[in-house]
Amino acid sequence: MADSTEKLTRKIRRAAVVGGLGLVVQLAAALHWTPITFILSAAVGAPLVLAGGVLFLAAVWRNMRDKGAV
Amino acid sequence: MLPVQLIVALVAGIAIIVLLFLGAHHLGGHTVGRVVLLVGLLALPLLLSVGNISFGMHESSTTHFCLSCHEMQRHGKSLFVDNRQALAAVHYQNRFVDRETVCYSCHKDYALFGDVKAKMNGLRHVWAHYIAGVPETIKLYQPYPNSNCLHCHDDSRRFVEGVAHRPLLDAMYAGTTSCLSCHAIVHDMAKVDAEQFWQAR
Repeated sequence: MADSTEKLTRKIRRAAVVGGLGLVVQLAAALHWTPITFILSAAVGAPLVLAGGVLFLAAVWRNMRDKGAV
Repeated sequence: MLPVQLIVALVAGIAIIVLLFLGAHHLGGHTVGRVVLLVGLLALPLLLSVGNISFGMHESSTTHFCLSCHEMQRHGKSLFVDNRQALAAVHYQNRFVDRETVCYSCHKDYALFGDVKAKMNGLRHVWAHYIAGVPETIKLYQPYPNSNCLHCHDDSRRFVEGVAHRPLLDAMYAGTTSCLSCHAIVHDMAKVDAEQFWQAR
């Protein structure tokens, strides 16, 4: 049980790092606004945010499945 | 730099993610905590990203964005030349188009995917600027379509009743006669080089 919670925490933290990185990329682009940084913001920052969200959902889903809740 | 509100929102989003990172152990264990994590790690960052990109798309249509590349600055200066025949200058100086988006107003197509096509062309410009190199002569990818002119001038009285326009109306609507065949001076680069500019009083 404790192991499962630890595993979930680790995965949620990984998702937070990926999503946070996406926002950091977007923040850096917003602070130094040029055509190329806008493209970086949209092509790298936004997908990272999406990836963070997907990682979080996948982590919660797997945790619930392992517990037999779904 | 983008507006302060957007910067503050992004910083707040990052701060929330940091807090959720630290509290992940407690929040991940129960349903309410997971809902908080869902909002903080998925909904909020996605909302911020959509807002950021949406604002960026709007900003990328502005005149100062187009002119931020040095190779376009002569075209930008052509908006100020003292020539009543030069289309870009006439439209800008008489406020026929919004000065904030003057490049975009004339150079985007007004068809269903006009905006998308303009943005894709923008990507080609960025590629040329940073990677492929800027061509010696900057020219349009395709002949300038009459539909872009007609989007505004279409049924305006001055256009329809213009003595020179009347015999050519059908041909112009069909696209067989280009507006630019008569209005040949668009960006008057000769006057840009000669520094003959109009000054508003």
